[in-house]
Amino acid sequence: MDLLVTLAVLTLQIVLLFNVVMFIVLALVWLERKVLGRVHQRMGPMRVGPHGTLQSLADGIKLLLKEDLAPSSAERFAFLLAPLLVFAPSFLVFVAIPFTRDIVVRNLALGLVYFVAVSSLSTVGMVLAGWSSSNKYALIGAARTAAQLISYEIPLVLVVLSVAMLGGTLDLRGLVESQGQAGPYVLWQPLGALIFIMAALAEVFRPPFDIPVAESEVLGGPMIEYSGMRWGLFFMAEYGNAFAFSALFVLLFLGGWQGPLLPPILWFLLKTSAVILVFFWMRAAMPRLRIDQLMGFAWEVLLPFAFLNLFLTGVVQLYRWPLWSLSLLSLTGLLALGYVVERGRVTWRRSPSLAS
Amino acid sequence: MATFPFAGVLKSLWVTLRTAVRKPVTVQYPTVRVPYAPRMRGFPALIWDDAVGEHFCTGCQVCARYCPTNAIFVTMKNNPLNQTGQSPRRKIVNQFYLDYGRCIQCKICVDVCNFDAIEMSHETEFSEWDKRALIFDVRDLLHMETLANPRTKQVVTRR
Amino acid sequence: MLIKREFETVEMPINVGPQHPSTHGVLRLVMTLDGEQIVKVDPVIGYLHRAVEKLSENLRYQNIPHLFDRLDYVSAFNNEWPLAMAQERLLGLEVPPRGEYLRVILCELNRIASHFLFFGAFGHDAGTATSWMYGFRERERIQRLFEMVSGYRMMHDFVVPGGVREDVPEEFVPALRALLPVLWQGLGDCNNLLTENEVLVTRTRDIGVITGEEAISYGLSGPSLRASGVREDLRLTEPYSVYPDLDFDVVLGQHGDSYDRYWVRMQEVAQSLRIVEQALDRLPGGLVCTPGLPKYPKLLKLPVGETYARAENPRGEFGVYLISTGGDRPYRLKIRAPSFCNLMALPRLMEGHYLADAIMILGSLDVVMGEVDR
Repeated sequence: MDLLVTLAVLTLQIVLLFNVVMFIVLALVWLERKVLGRVHQRMGPMRVGPHGTLQSLADGIKLLLKEDLAPSSAERFAFLLAPLLVFAPSFLVFVAIPFTRDIVVRNLALGLVYFVAVSSLSTVGMVLAGWSSSNKYALIGAARTAAQLISYEIPLVLVVLSVAMLGGTLDLRGLVESQGQAGPYVLWQPLGALIFIMAALAEVFRPPFDIPVAESEVLGGPMIEYSGMRWGLFFMAEYGNAFAFSALFVLLFLGGWQGPLLPPILWFLLKTSAVILVFFWMRAAMPRLRIDQLMGFAWEVLLPFAFLNLFLTGVVQLYRWPLWSLSLLSLTGLLALGYVVERGRVTWRRSPSLAS
Repeated sequence: MATFPFAGVLKSLWVTLRTAVRKPVTVQYPTVRVPYAPRMRGFPALIWDDAVGEHFCTGCQVCARYCPTNAIFVTMKNNPLNQTGQSPRRKIVNQFYLDYGRCIQCKICVDVCNFDAIEMSHETEFSEWDKRALIFDVRDLLHMETLANPRTKQVVTRR
Repeated sequence: MLIKREFETVEMPINVGPQHPSTHGVLRLVMTLDGEQIVKVDPVIGYLHRAVEKLSENLRYQNIPHLFDRLDYVSAFNNEWPLAMAQERLLGLEVPPRGEYLRVILCELNRIASHFLFFGAFGHDAGTATSWMYGFRERERIQRLFEMVSGYRMMHDFVVPGGVREDVPEEFVPALRALLPVLWQGLGDCNNLLTENEVLVTRTRDIGVITGEEAISYGLSGPSLRASGVREDLRLTEPYSVYPDLDFDVVLGQHGDSYDRYWVRMQEVAQSLRIVEQALDRLPGGLVCTPGLPKYPKLLKLPVGETYARAENPRGEFGVYLISTGGDRPYRLKIRAPSFCNLMALPRLMEGHYLADAIMILGSLDVVMGEVDR
């Protein structure tokens, strides 16, 4: 009997969470189109619903009604499985995200590790999608996807680890609460925050790191051969991931739901929206990096500086130096990063020529 | 060029931010329309002579001869109004078919017409399901000119 | 005993097909890739062939500009001008100064519009949809002016032998004067967006490098040639019309890479704006077309002869070789299209680069398939 009750409660939670995630995704799609429209000095969707708010819903219905195409030479089972493997992780990470102190599905004691681990499972799905499509472009896209996701995982984990060192816990709720006393960690670890933003952009395949799914080159990467709702699953996974990583940034660096006057959930949503708007802004303004430049950026710039960030945090924690010294050191690291990027540009742009 | 690291990127971010607060350059067509220049070439329309109460067009077939796509078919007849002395035109247009599916709006028919009977209107919205419905006859061609488009309230300029 | 296994790689033939978001029209590139590097690339053209040269042999001279607009559909005025120049040379016509100045103004405006479209497409290939919108926003403003003049936004049919078809309406000059500061600001916006953006520079510096001598041997012309440092601009080296009276600089690049091809075009927009301002100040009154030329329905008959007339298109040297055996139709009308010749250098430019670079190289050459395939 208890088992049945538990199962019923769990199912209810899952359904509720699914609806919340869907709503978030739809709202994000609409918001991106509007923001991009404004940046382009046009209006974005305006017709479907007041100011186009129902546009994403209409698109979703359209996707459901589309014909389910699959290439005849595709591996049927893998082809059908891949979108689910991509969508499931981006949905599962929401289980551990505390929206406020009380609004959370299950606050895991290892919430941070869970988040990073589960979100990296989508790599498998992408590669499976590209391989099973029996399309050369998809294969190229899948190879790039795997390389990018793996490379940017490491700086991300290192930065997240430094934050955990500051907060003393891997529990997401606990990290936010420790920022209540110490102040938002972005002040003490600006270098870490910047590295996190860039690694998160790469994890979510947003410009300037979106070459695996670049439309003008590989026509959508691993997702080329998918149509209808299967493609919709990839799409939703991308936006779900974007929201999840923005939420993680807010939790780790911006102080989560804390703030004066407004109710906590509103603070959380406002801060996440601000981070998401930065993501959209980067999409509007930045061209794409080539894949080898992207990888070079991860391994030659982000990784050493993530190690530096970890080292600085460790030193400050070990010798019990005051926190503002960490922010000073971190800012110095930030300037060094700018300098290295500027100098390093000279070596990455060259692609080897067979003629030479 | 680059004064400090990431200067170019910051410029891109700044210009996108600045554009985002400007008024949009697009309008919500078809509820709102951008006014056309007077010379804008839509599809041709025939002109009605109010003073006499008939077409300017006499059916001389010059436009049909010089139309590059053979979109015009014209025939003429003896003008009954001329016999009664009301009109100076001895001949008047009998049939006039202009296939909008073939018309390329090159304005040659307007340029060669000796009687200034045909003019380019500002109408361009003629989507039909069947391309045979695009062959306009003399009534439609005239109707186009006198009718103010109920949505745009624009009337073709007449002479 | 250690067993060493050799890593075996296979070269993959890939088809960047005629339908592709970034081939600037219908161009097919058959590439052989080794991993990400391009080993061989074969452009296949002809998907937009409309037999313009053959059709012109059956059309009266008054009808041909209509076809010529559709060659380089992005910059229509510039296509009609060499055709008119060829006919004028055979007829021995003198164009009145107002006609010349109007031609210069309209063609330079079209050059600006074409380069804005290049900016849009180039940025779009690089990844920003924003640059597409910015480029087209400026282009739309210019096209609205063109609608005021000729009735069309793109396919004008306006430059005829002897001058231009009719005079510009009165509101044109004030509208153009009001538009010029807006275009300067638009150019500033576009430059702010991409010209110094580190990501774009990283994507395009030292990509598709070609030296000046090689460029000449491949037949490049226009901004792609000037980006390699060759000072070759038909408006200066073989001046026609009123260009000798106008003061402008020829923009040269130094490295001959994709970034320089982009940069040269953006600077050329500034130069063209200068030309338009000067021409507007000096615009004389008077006739716009040589009087006495037969107008429809009288037919224009050219004397027997052949001539080659060329002008500086936004893409390079656009030439028209006209053979007339008397009569109202040409015997042969051969078009020297700049994009066709520029495209010949594509395999040389792309070899050894990555697939992503190939797209940027193609974008930086600024080919329009309408004139490649004719």
